Amino acid sequence: MDTFLIALLLIAAGGLQALVTFRAYLLMKILAVSTIIGGCGLGLYNAVNQIFRQVEPFVCSCEWLQIFTFSLKIDAVSAFFLIPVFAISAVAALYSFQYMGDKERSAATAANYFFYALLIISMSLVVCADNLISFALTWELMSISSFFLVIYDFHKQAVRNAGYIYFFFTQAGALFIFAGFGCIYAHTGSFSFDAIAAIPESVKLTAFILILIGCGSKAGIMPFHIWLPYAHPAAPSHISAVMSGVMIKIGIYGIVRFYLLLAPTSVLFGQLIIVLGIVSGILGVVYALGKHDIKRLLAYHSVENIGIILLGLGIGMLGVATGHKTMAAFGFAGGLLHVLNHSIFKSLLFFGAGGLLRQTGTAAIDQLGGLMKRMPFTGRSFLVGSLSISGLPPFNGFISEFLIYYGAFHGLDLQGASFILTNLTILSLALIGGLAAACFTKVVGIVFLGEARSEAAAQASETGSLIIISQLILALFCLLIGIFPEPFVRAAFLASRSIPLLADFDSMQFLPVLSNIARTAALFLILFLLIAGIRKLLYSGKEITQSGTWGCGFTQPTVRMQYTGASYADSMVDFFRPFVRVQKKYSGINTVFPGKTTYSSHVQDTSETGLTLFLVRPILYLLGKLRWMQHGNIQLYIGYIVLAIVVMLIFI
Amino acid sequence: MIHISNILLALILLSVLLSLRSNRLMALVELMAFQGVMVSAVPLVLETAHGVTFNLILFFLLLVLVKGVLIPWLMYRAVKLVVVDREVEPIIGYNASLFAGLIMIVFSVYVTNNLHLNMLPMDHKLLLATAITTMGAGLILLMTRRKAITQVIGYLIMENGIYLIGTALAKQVHTQYVVEFAVLLDLIVAVLVMGIVLNDINHTFDDVDTTLMGQLKD
Repeated sequence: MDTFLIALLLIAAGGLQALVTFRAYLLMKILAVSTIIGGCGLGLYNAVNQIFRQVEPFVCSCEWLQIFTFSLKIDAVSAFFLIPVFAISAVAALYSFQYMGDKERSAATAANYFFYALLIISMSLVVCADNLISFALTWELMSISSFFLVIYDFHKQAVRNAGYIYFFFTQAGALFIFAGFGCIYAHTGSFSFDAIAAIPESVKLTAFILILIGCGSKAGIMPFHIWLPYAHPAAPSHISAVMSGVMIKIGIYGIVRFYLLLAPTSVLFGQLIIVLGIVSGILGVVYALGKHDIKRLLAYHSVENIGIILLGLGIGMLGVATGHKTMAAFGFAGGLLHVLNHSIFKSLLFFGAGGLLRQTGTAAIDQLGGLMKRMPFTGRSFLVGSLSISGLPPFNGFISEFLIYYGAFHGLDLQGASFILTNLTILSLALIGGLAAACFTKVVGIVFLGEARSEAAAQASETGSLIIISQLILALFCLLIGIFPEPFVRAAFLASRSIPLLADFDSMQFLPVLSNIARTAALFLILFLLIAGIRKLLYSGKEITQSGTWGCGFTQPTVRMQYTGASYADSMVDFFRPFVRVQKKYSGINTVFPGKTTYSSHVQDTSETGLTLFLVRPILYLLGKLRWMQHGNIQLYIGYIVLAIVVMLIFI
Repeated sequence: MIHISNILLALILLSVLLSLRSNRLMALVELMAFQGVMVSAVPLVLETAHGVTFNLILFFLLLVLVKGVLIPWLMYRAVKLVVVDREVEPIIGYNASLFAGLIMIVFSVYVTNNLHLNMLPMDHKLLLATAITTMGAGLILLMTRRKAITQVIGYLIMENGIYLIGTALAKQVHTQYVVEFAVLLDLIVAVLVMGIVLNDINHTFDDVDTTLMGQLKD
């Protein structure tokens, strides 16, 4: 039996045993966490082995119910996506050990571990699925298991609402995917992946757009991202980390996989992806700037990073359509590497947010402050995550964004719309990077620097050791990829070889470019450490006094004189006013001796209000007209059923 | 020649019509028991390729036990325990229901003839018509009676019809019995569940009148 299947069995065992042993709380957690980590480790080893050894793709299939074949195949792309699935899931399991500490709710915790194991298994099966039915089945399994993970705190109304929103989006998305499969099946007549490339070009576009909408609603592409800012704050933090870090990437995988299978030749595909990427990237980060809840803010950053990934993939697709090998290789490699990088730093940031939530009880950034002193490890690893997500060297976000830039600059000799879009890609990448950096100076500045804004923040202490360890592991990897990017970039290049155009393209010739950049980054890091060391040395004999942060010479400074997140971001959000509606409520100062004054601002998500206005309201109105059908008379309900059966018998 | 199966089918039809006409719950339950026995006996008298085998007899005995004894007994108890007023309470009158049943027979014969099942022997065709009538009558009972308990009886009569359709269309082979056994098991469970539901309805509303359940809509 193959290592991959053994790994999945191990994870399944870890999840299933939790349902049996939940009465012994500690034992259940130890068993669940250790077996899940073990299984993930094995799966990770297998995936890494698969991608670097370039062995024959692992294939396995079995008949199920005598109707269809459940078949799996791990090629380079699947293996590349398996890496974040297993790696992040394992670290998140480690994190959950202390994070899920409510002994009273042992049954709910056991269910959480069960669905967590199911989610890992289904995610890894989705990326390995080798026919339409297997893909659809595992996709549904993934959606449903993650829904149960989101509603862990089901006794809270807000969490249930978030769960329903997520459930609705995931099911509607699945319907779009199935519609796309229907288009494909109508022309191939089989569920197999092999014949898909042969369907007519016009059908390819329809099928691809349908699948794009379906996968996009999972991945959080603007304007299908609405569930993200609801579901992520509602779920437990390690679940948000896995969902935001890994699960939404499965949506990206769906797009990549079906792009590869459809093998389209038109430039339209790449242009579409780039436009979506620009919209998601810029608006995602702008909305994030306007949010005051740290997990909601991180959710919008997921939208932004999905935008960056799409930009990479779009550049790659344009390169393939126009025969630019370098552009294609760098675009795809950059997009894929950013999948891995984002899964690492986004999980790290969610872990940090979870730690803050656990220690202070609030996720509102304007209630926190000065936590760098009280939670040194969480603060510093959060800072590493922030630098990575902003795409700054020497961390990993820089490497993948650099690859995308490199690919985009190679596309500047294209003509027409492709040229404009390539230009826009470069510009929006720069804009996104700058805004993301601004957004994280806001988060880090408000949450970790300054003085505590509330009692809870002032009393906070460092979180549990396992939580810190899991954050440190991820922070280390952020730095590792930033300084030694070679093996990771090589993996991304190997995965991008699945594209026929790049099959014999020697992309490895570019690796020295990257190692040079990495060397500069390492030099920078060494310089930084050196200066820090010298500073320590110079100050060693001197007296160091400590006083309140930003005292600014006031004799009676209060913590309320500090910048708030809203005021910091206000001018930047204002710039994007046509796309970002800001609702402000300000009571104003009208008298000479002002009394109590209130101010609140709320950034509205344009796609959410648009969807409510143009889709939800009309549907509710129409359905309201049909209310008379529900009269409560059972006999007539049976009549409906009979009528339906008769009508179906006659017409079908 | 009057075949014994024709007599059986006629009896089933009569029981169906009577069940539409009967105004007492107890009479309805008794009719159901009678119908159950008749329906179970149908495979015995049909012209089969293998003749009467040991399996067939075993199956017949089990069917009689479930359809003719066990389920009617459960219903009998339910009527005794739950229902105070043992009137059927129709929404559409008895004579109108009876007339609907007669129309149902005509409709079933029409449907059977239009299905063009040429390879089916004659008595199978008659059986199919009876089966469809039984099913339709069950539906009429479901739709036009007010008490929840008549709904259960209507459902069971409909199930009798479904069983007859299976017998009419399927070849009398081993696998059919396997399927029917499974259905039988489902049936018992369904009756038990419906019994519990009946009890709960009775507890909540102090009656088994389904019009009261209209309050549950939002």
